[in-house]
Amino acid sequence: MTADVMIELQQVSKLYRGQKTPAVEDVSMTIRRGEIVVLVGPSGCGKTTTMKMINRLIEPSSGRIMVDGSDVTSLNPTELRRRIGYVIQQVGLFPHMSVATNVGLVPKMLGWDRKRIDARVDELLHLVGLEPGQYRHRLPRQLSGGQQQRVGVVRALAADPPVMLMDEPFGATDPLTRDRLQNEFLRLQEKLQKTIVFVTHDFDEAIKMGSRIAVLGDRSSIRQFDTPERLLSNPVDKTVAQFIGAGASLKQLNLRRVDAVDWDEAELVRLDDSPTSALRRLDETGEWAVLSVDSERRPVHWITARDLDPHQDNLRGIGGPATVVEPRATLHDALDAMLSSSSGAAVVVDDAGRYRGTVTIDRLMRAIGEMRETERRRDQPVSEAPETADGPRADAVPGQRRGARSAADRQTP
Amino acid sequence: MTLFEYLESRRDLLVAQTIEHATIVLMAIALATLIGMSIAVLTYRHRRARGIAVAVAATVLTIPSFALLGLLITPLGLGYLPALVALTLYALLPIIRNTVVGLTEIDPALTEAARGIGMSWVRSLCTVEIPLAWPVILTGIRVSTQMTMGIAAIAAYVGGPGLGNQIFSGLANLGGVNSLNQALIGTLGVVALALVVDLCLGLLGVLTRGNRGNRRPRSRSTAPLTAGQPDSATALAGTPSLAAPSTPQGGQR
Repeated sequence: MTADVMIELQQVSKLYRGQKTPAVEDVSMTIRRGEIVVLVGPSGCGKTTTMKMINRLIEPSSGRIMVDGSDVTSLNPTELRRRIGYVIQQVGLFPHMSVATNVGLVPKMLGWDRKRIDARVDELLHLVGLEPGQYRHRLPRQLSGGQQQRVGVVRALAADPPVMLMDEPFGATDPLTRDRLQNEFLRLQEKLQKTIVFVTHDFDEAIKMGSRIAVLGDRSSIRQFDTPERLLSNPVDKTVAQFIGAGASLKQLNLRRVDAVDWDEAELVRLDDSPTSALRRLDETGEWAVLSVDSERRPVHWITARDLDPHQDNLRGIGGPATVVEPRATLHDALDAMLSSSSGAAVVVDDAGRYRGTVTIDRLMRAIGEMRETERRRDQPVSEAPETADGPRADAVPGQRRGARSAADRQTP
Repeated sequence: MTLFEYLESRRDLLVAQTIEHATIVLMAIALATLIGMSIAVLTYRHRRARGIAVAVAATVLTIPSFALLGLLITPLGLGYLPALVALTLYALLPIIRNTVVGLTEIDPALTEAARGIGMSWVRSLCTVEIPLAWPVILTGIRVSTQMTMGIAAIAAYVGGPGLGNQIFSGLANLGGVNSLNQALIGTLGVVALALVVDLCLGLLGVLTRGNRGNRRPRSRSTAPLTAGQPDSATALAGTPSLAAPSTPQGGQR
């Protein structure tokens, strides 16, 4: 085993007592240091079982699992688990302990002194944007769902384990929160460089989170283990293609982030400016709309000439809503924001919500074009909306586009 | 002699008997809590084992108290010991039952999380499971205490201590001077003692819950700390799932 390998599964099987077919059969997999490997597959395919064997919550029936060079069965299971972060869908924060106590549990078990635990807890809460002074003494039920999940993640990170196991960690949150949590977690991971095994049934999440994705079939058999890009462009067989589902091209938008494309500049006006000056700016620049920002430079509205009423004193409450994305967001998120914005452009904002630039549909098209180019696929010119550019994919999976994805969704619990 | 005059004239004896009564009941409850919780903790993970534990405890409870006390005379003789043993046996069922219910009703995600972050079974039990099940367990203890208060009066039959002696001597000399007073005082004493001890256990519940309950009112409004206490006291007394395990004892009391 090379130093590069963090987790290695060698022909691992799990046969539950009293069952004829194994839940996991003969799985071998190598996970490198610092990558996020996503196990994705229909529910009941054994992906969670596979993951839980790594920290011995489930004992394998046969095969070997190596973590950081040592065979897990040779280690004390509770000590092993303290060195492996563990996040579950239900969060599992202990309701009778404060946020700080919950986060400090593993360091305490490892015998850290109080001061060091306190300092670590504060550091971690800061890391996920929960002000320690405000949150450390709260009970889990006094937090929102998203905040609870953040605390769940930092609890797993508390003792700085090199490996993390995450079982549908964002599955129970609403789509908006999930998106934010995913972005936040990716930002964290950039700093932390943990080796992560991530289980989900949501292929879109897999594409977004994974360095590599293992598409699992029955008994946790690996159908394809590849990077998201290659998985989308070259599904190895029909089943994988079916699981990827319709709109593979659209899904490729999840592979690129907003900070990877060029931004445009919008014409900014202040809320206190007069409508006449806004009108002059529109005339001078020839832009279709100007963006109003508040005193903190946070975008408020897109204002077109039609919205302007010269009798008003300022620009408050005028215009259509401006939708924002973070630089971390995917182009898919950006497209979504564009479609729901009144101007057809998404405003890029920093962590504090301040204006950074805008992304327009033209930029998006160009990015898609570049992605096509790199894949050396001879698609039709990128002059149409992405939905229709989906055409060639449909031929690749005849007759199975419709319903394949929703079927996969329905199987989930 | 009126009831009040009788009370005045026998004050020292009555106080002593009341203390004896309370002592034997509390000792029995302490023993039953120790034994009952141990049995529950050892069996709750296995469906069959916990079924057997609860069934055996329930069977013990169906033995009429007179019969059980009488039967215990043979091995243990008369006096304090058979009374204590009988009371402890009777007190077991509510405690075992509520502990099992309390522990099995904990969200499995929490026990999985405890295991997943590297807690041993004992640690998970002591820091997560028992604290979470504690309100349910405490209700079992309260039910047991109430029940044993009454049964302890009968323990005077085998020479046990306590207010039962008043009742028995009163009933034995029915028609004599003070006999009615004796029986009445004994009965009322048991009832009053039961109420006082239950109140104390209720307070214990509030105190052991304090750490968790205190912060709740503050976040919801700026209500002072005291506002939370009656709140949690009512919650404790009226928790629905706790009342259920205690119903079979209704007929026994």
